[in-house]
Amino acid sequence: MTTQLLSANHGAALAATLAARANRRGRGFCSGVYPITPSTECMEYLCLQEIEKGRVVRVESEHSAMAVCIGASAAGARSFTATSSNGLAYMVENCVAAACLRLPVVMAVANRTLGPPWNIWADHGDALTLRDHGLIQFYCADNQEVFDTVLCAFRLAEDAKVMMPAMVCMEGFILSHTVAETEVPDQAQVDDFLPVTSIPHRLADVPHTLGQIEVPHQTEVHRRQHHAAMLGVPEVYRGVQDEFEQVFGRRPADAVRAYRAGDAETLIVSMGTMGATAERVVDLLREQGRRVGALRVRLFRPLPAEDIRSVFAGKRRIAVLDRDVSLGFGGVLWGEVRALADRDAVVQNYMAGLGGGDVRPEHIAAWVDDLEGRDAGGPPVMTEVV
Amino acid sequence: MDSRTQPAVPAEAIPLPTGLPLPLEVRVHGRGGQGGVTCAKLIAALYTQMGLHVQTFGDYGSERSGAPVQAYTRVDRRVIANRNKVYHPHHLIVLDEGLLGPAVLAGASPGGLLLLNSHEPLERFADRYGEYRFGVIDATSIAREHGIGSASVVIINTTLIGAYARLLGISLDALDRAFALLGLESDLAAAEHAYEALGMRAPVGEAPAPAAPGALPVPPPVMPLGQHSADIPAVLKTGTWSNLAPRYREQAAPCNVACPAGNDVVAFIQALRHGGVEEAAGILLRTQPLPSVCGRVCPAPCMTHCNRAAFDGTVNIRGLERWIGDHAVLELAHETPGRRRRFAVVGGGPAGLSAAYQLALRGQGVTLFEAGPALGGVLRNGIPAFRLPDEPLRRDLARVTGLGVQVRCDARLGRGDVERLLDGHDAVIVCTGFGAATGLAAEGADLSGIEQGLDFLDRVKRGEGGVSGHVVVVGGGNTAIDCVRSALRGGAESVRLVYRRGREDMPAIGEEIDAAELEGVRLGFYGQPVAFQGQGRVESVVVAEVEAGPPDASGRRRPVVTDRTTALPCDHVLLALGQGTEVALLPEGWQKRGDRAWRGGEALPVWFAGDCGTADGTVTHAIGNGRRVALRALADVEHPGVEPAQAPAADPVAPGQIRFAHYGVAPPHADRQRPPAECIGSFAEVNLGLAGPEEAERCFSCGHCTRCDTCLVYCPDGVISRSGDGYAIDEAYCKGCGMCVAECPRSAMEMHEKHLPGAAP
Repeated sequence: MTTQLLSANHGAALAATLAARANRRGRGFCSGVYPITPSTECMEYLCLQEIEKGRVVRVESEHSAMAVCIGASAAGARSFTATSSNGLAYMVENCVAAACLRLPVVMAVANRTLGPPWNIWADHGDALTLRDHGLIQFYCADNQEVFDTVLCAFRLAEDAKVMMPAMVCMEGFILSHTVAETEVPDQAQVDDFLPVTSIPHRLADVPHTLGQIEVPHQTEVHRRQHHAAMLGVPEVYRGVQDEFEQVFGRRPADAVRAYRAGDAETLIVSMGTMGATAERVVDLLREQGRRVGALRVRLFRPLPAEDIRSVFAGKRRIAVLDRDVSLGFGGVLWGEVRALADRDAVVQNYMAGLGGGDVRPEHIAAWVDDLEGRDAGGPPVMTEVV
Repeated sequence: MDSRTQPAVPAEAIPLPTGLPLPLEVRVHGRGGQGGVTCAKLIAALYTQMGLHVQTFGDYGSERSGAPVQAYTRVDRRVIANRNKVYHPHHLIVLDEGLLGPAVLAGASPGGLLLLNSHEPLERFADRYGEYRFGVIDATSIAREHGIGSASVVIINTTLIGAYARLLGISLDALDRAFALLGLESDLAAAEHAYEALGMRAPVGEAPAPAAPGALPVPPPVMPLGQHSADIPAVLKTGTWSNLAPRYREQAAPCNVACPAGNDVVAFIQALRHGGVEEAAGILLRTQPLPSVCGRVCPAPCMTHCNRAAFDGTVNIRGLERWIGDHAVLELAHETPGRRRRFAVVGGGPAGLSAAYQLALRGQGVTLFEAGPALGGVLRNGIPAFRLPDEPLRRDLARVTGLGVQVRCDARLGRGDVERLLDGHDAVIVCTGFGAATGLAAEGADLSGIEQGLDFLDRVKRGEGGVSGHVVVVGGGNTAIDCVRSALRGGAESVRLVYRRGREDMPAIGEEIDAAELEGVRLGFYGQPVAFQGQGRVESVVVAEVEAGPPDASGRRRPVVTDRTTALPCDHVLLALGQGTEVALLPEGWQKRGDRAWRGGEALPVWFAGDCGTADGTVTHAIGNGRRVALRALADVEHPGVEPAQAPAADPVAPGQIRFAHYGVAPPHADRQRPPAECIGSFAEVNLGLAGPEEAERCFSCGHCTRCDTCLVYCPDGVISRSGDGYAIDEAYCKGCGMCVAECPRSAMEMHEKHLPGAAP
């Protein structure tokens, strides 16, 4: 175990490299990559690594990048890619294919808003387009979390009870390009943590097709099975956390992270780095004697509804912060979690930081003030933070 | 997450600087390319040596060289959670003094640290920044001295960190370790240099209270996307975002560089396209008076070097020159000089005509002495009529005489006459061409029926007889080819050429060799006549086989004569072996040095131009040299002793600098040719030239803007506009992307560095 100064892009690539090398005893590693700001540095770093029984294929588009991952995974290899924004949008068709084919591809997403007009900065709108299609989604808040979550995502996605792709999201620049200390385990530890990739339906000696035509009933059953596997993910993830802790001596972050929430009356709920900034706000407001806590949703798909509901229980006021907007509706996270609060709770949505707007502690404090002046939740609020 | 991640280095490693505020926030301001983000990262690395947690990130914007860039570092004893930018820095580092203004200082607390990169000494800032712990360092000079970055974009981040460490009292040891952590050891010497060189001072007076955080900024209004064409924030001067800017710069075209006459080929072809034949003639006739001649007999090195050869075939420049020469009626008017001098030009061949013409154009008095009965020299007696008929020669000669040149024909000068000419003239220019034709020192060379090719050509041209029977021509130059073709027309039964090297080595113009072959001449290579046999009159030539030896100074393989011989029966032999370079006119006691005559240490106003001076051997070289020597002679008369400045030789635009994709494929328009069957026994002109001037459309105009609008069309920011005769670039908004330069079809634009030392701001 060493501590290195790494950007989250490089951290994700390094975690993928260690996972790739760990499968040298199995059917190796293969990754299709295509550059797009701000995820480019992740694939660049990956391309520079020497991976025994591994290959990074540079292709002509994101669509093909995922196609390479699908092929690799269908052949039983471990697979990984990284993308962002409109690159992800272009990749969507094959992301859905990987999900429907139940292939455990791990993908790092450096979140960037969708354009045009062109903007290279962060919001969650790109990854959220894949909310409903059978891919596991994590949203991270710091460099270590990105590194750990990529490792866990391989373990989780390749679990026989799960067997589906997993996305590890980090906000572009805010996280992808930020350098901080990252604990990096030895290869031997990663070898211990990650068993050899085993894909039961892989293309092997007996010829068969993947993704052939289905009649309605087959689709009904496959969707039910996929849904059920999704619902089982939080339970499997807890097991992954246990094993991670056993091997590495520290516990990776929970599916949802509550911060000073136990006795809080007001709760700030968010995803990604805004949640980390919110914890600083909680500290500041607690110094003023205000009973404020925070809840950060790390695992967004499947949504750990019961975990969230238990933290929400008894909270009078809940501010849901979204770095996204479902146009014509409001914040996506708000839409997901508002029904999990107590019936008489005031749940108010604040959308901010779209296209990379810099959400400062002062903004979050102002929303807490706004929320505490309300008797009932109102329509979602969109704030421009410059 | 609070205790999860361990700092990179144990806490006891390096002591904290005294008075360091924690959590600490650092903000770095620089320009893209200076390394501001790495600067912030190095600061982070420095603090990890003290067992502290760090977070560092850049504020990525336009991501271009020269654009203002910010980067941040946070330092704390606990894991750093918040991820917003830094608005209230304790330490402010400014990599470019030009950036320093209220916006950069915004939020910086009085009593905090301000480190500035500037070449000004500390004293210059006596009245400023007193509220900060202030340090100033000339990091640019130090980094440049240590060779970090490029001449215009010096990378100063690593240097500046040395000054930062010194300002905080951090040890060199910590610096050493931080550089090692990021693998930047090679820059450590520059950092240590800055560590020693820093000028610094403490804040003045009591440390004031930190500024209270101000109200959150109110974002400016933004127009709806439906109206976004009006939503261009005109205040955003994106021109500050770059180190590079495009500009229009004429570059040398390969044809212009190659032209021995010094013609502005691109200019006359473009003038022909846009202004017609008279406008083109106005340009062409500035450099040479004989376009109808050159358009027929020039070997056209311009065409060999034409960039279009690498695309779909060289532009038929010779054909276009001929078109202009044959169709323009323009007569250039001569200038009226302040004082009219008198010049004597000796020799009415191409060099003498060119020299006389250039002087006459400038209003000078010129007398042209010609030994023969009419002007023209080699043009009249050495080039056969089927290549150069009388009519075009007469037309070109009229361009010279039309300017008032006094012509004295049948004026054969002897040794000593030149000195006498100096009496009535300010300068004399000798253009007598080559000396005597080279003979062949072989057995039987004095047999009758063996004749110099030049004498033969002259004879034929004057209509004084031809040849008969089997003719052998010896040589490989243009005279040899003119001889074989003339012999064929002049009554020969068969014509055979004997040349001692290979076809690719022949100095003759390729098209002429092709034409000769087409007309039925047999070409024999690697043969050297070693004897002539016959009783009084030549009956056969003994030709020895020649082997190609090692290359000589000209790069051609040296012929090695063997003893394997063959006898070629013949009735007539024409020798075309070149001419000597002796100048018969040079008086006793005079020396020829370069293009000028000297008497002992005295430079005389007597000049040599054309083949008698250079031995280049083509009409076009003679024209060019005649002009240059005439202008030097004129300059010397007007300003004695002043050496004219020589323009440096320009590198021509290469094919790789032309964007072929902008051009449609259009094969060259070939000259029309008289069918070979019609040529037998006829001295009518063979090459009939172009049918029209459309070939001009094919010119790439290498290195010369044609106002084609490509730059304007491709500029993604719309900052290029038509202006007067060309274009204007709005540098206030040009981000220096270089697309206009990359797309320019003809390499008439270039990028230049805006911030080079000494460059205009």
